Amino acid sequence: MKFDWSFATDILPRLLQGLLVTLELTVIVIVLSMLLAVPLAVARMSKIEVIRWAAQGYIEIFRCTPLLVQLFWIFYALPVLLGVTLPGFLSAVIALTANLTAFMAETYRSGFQAVPVEQIEAGQMLRLSRMQQLRYIIVPQALKQQIPVILSLNISLFKDTALVATIAVPDLMFVANTINSESYKAVETFTMAAILYFVIAFPVSLITSRIERQSQLAGQRGAKVGPSLLSRMLPGTKVQDVEEVAEEKAEEKV
Amino acid sequence: MTSPDDTSPATTETEAAMTSAAEPDSGVKVTDPLSKILVSARGLQKAFHGRTILKNVDFDMHIGDITVIIGKSGSGKSTLLRALAGLTEPDEGTIQFDDEVVFEDQKRTKAWATVANEVGMIFQAYTLWPHMNVLDNLTLAPRKKLGMSAAEARDRAEAALAEVGMKQHIMSRSTQLSGGERQRVAIARALMMRPKLLLCDEITSALDPPVAAEVLGVLSRLKKEDHIAVALVTHDMAFASKAADRLVFFHEGEIAVNTSPDKAFNDNDNPHLQKFVDAVRF
Repeated sequence: MKFDWSFATDILPRLLQGLLVTLELTVIVIVLSMLLAVPLAVARMSKIEVIRWAAQGYIEIFRCTPLLVQLFWIFYALPVLLGVTLPGFLSAVIALTANLTAFMAETYRSGFQAVPVEQIEAGQMLRLSRMQQLRYIIVPQALKQQIPVILSLNISLFKDTALVATIAVPDLMFVANTINSESYKAVETFTMAAILYFVIAFPVSLITSRIERQSQLAGQRGAKVGPSLLSRMLPGTKVQDVEEVAEEKAEEKV
Repeated sequence: MTSPDDTSPATTETEAAMTSAAEPDSGVKVTDPLSKILVSARGLQKAFHGRTILKNVDFDMHIGDITVIIGKSGSGKSTLLRALAGLTEPDEGTIQFDDEVVFEDQKRTKAWATVANEVGMIFQAYTLWPHMNVLDNLTLAPRKKLGMSAAEARDRAEAALAEVGMKQHIMSRSTQLSGGERQRVAIARALMMRPKLLLCDEITSALDPPVAAEVLGVLSRLKKEDHIAVALVTHDMAFASKAADRLVFFHEGEIAVNTSPDKAFNDNDNPHLQKFVDAVRF
């Protein structure tokens, strides 16, 4: 079988239009989830049991059911209960946001809890209010520490948006599916769609790797990473620790 | 609870000071302002999960005093400091700070809100916020809590860092500092709020002896120059004998000995203290 390059380039503008919808959906969902996850994470750590249980219940429901089921439930079941019809895009935003918020809240919570208690008590001793402690001490550290996980969640969300094609949202996957049914050129169509997903997700994955490496180095005075930009970003690149750097310096002197 | 072997001199001195502080019109002329009691805790009790950590503890500190608190792990030292700091609420007892009752009937009083700024506390580790540089660590609370301008807060930070010999590190990130430097910056950060009482919970435990001596030297200077009262949990007996005004020994939730370091080390027959001091010195 020969790959039809001419067809692949011809369908690119249509696929890019679908990609635009995918990106629009991704950005809206990420922004909403990142904001909504903060109060949910705080509620998950609440000393008031009812609030804590409610938050945990929400998180478990969305973590333990398939995203496709959630999507269908919002698109098909919710309108039956409410008596209104929700447009596909809005249903997609609601389902994806509800799902990502649950995962994001757990990420925030683990970040909040990883901040050493002495640092929070230092804030208390300087008489900072709870909100000030959260804003200036806890959240910046938790976010910084959890950035790789947050970016990974966002990459997953970007890929998961392909599911919205099932409820007729004209995203990249929906457009690809349509082109395939019209042309029966599945190899070219889905290869191009995969390339477009990859082109967006891969740089973010590289950035995630770089941030992970930097956070591993945090606190290691004098440590450094490999010399080239690519080696600093590629997954699996070994991080040099302080001892290795010291050894290298000693060898250079000899 | 004061030790039975040291009740008379300390109690007499304490009572006189308390009387002078509590009754200014009684005719007793206070000649030395430093003899005034700054903190007075009475009958403090605290239990965690059914285990009593503080048993009816009475504890006083004078303005500008260095009180070294020693005792085995879990004997109640840190719990006392945390109760004085407002980080732990005792189950029973009262705490008076600078003539104001700040804790009674199992809760903080309204007066606590006004005097809380005057109590600082430093911990053993993770004392500085790693995502900020030294300047931001020092100026955050004065700007956000006291409403200081950035310039005013910076001036105060420079002065505080100069006091602990760390002014040259004002723009360093806390992760770039050594353990001793971090603790000195932590002291400077506490000084930003102009405390009258500084509570130090094993702040030198993770430091090498020379670095620990440097940090403890800073505390001695604060006492001499700024008359800040310091309560310090430490195992550094050399510092306790040289710089402390009082030595308090905790045993199983009670203050077993409360006396001068000289008397504690050379003229005390409390077997638990002797055993503890021998173990630490060894």
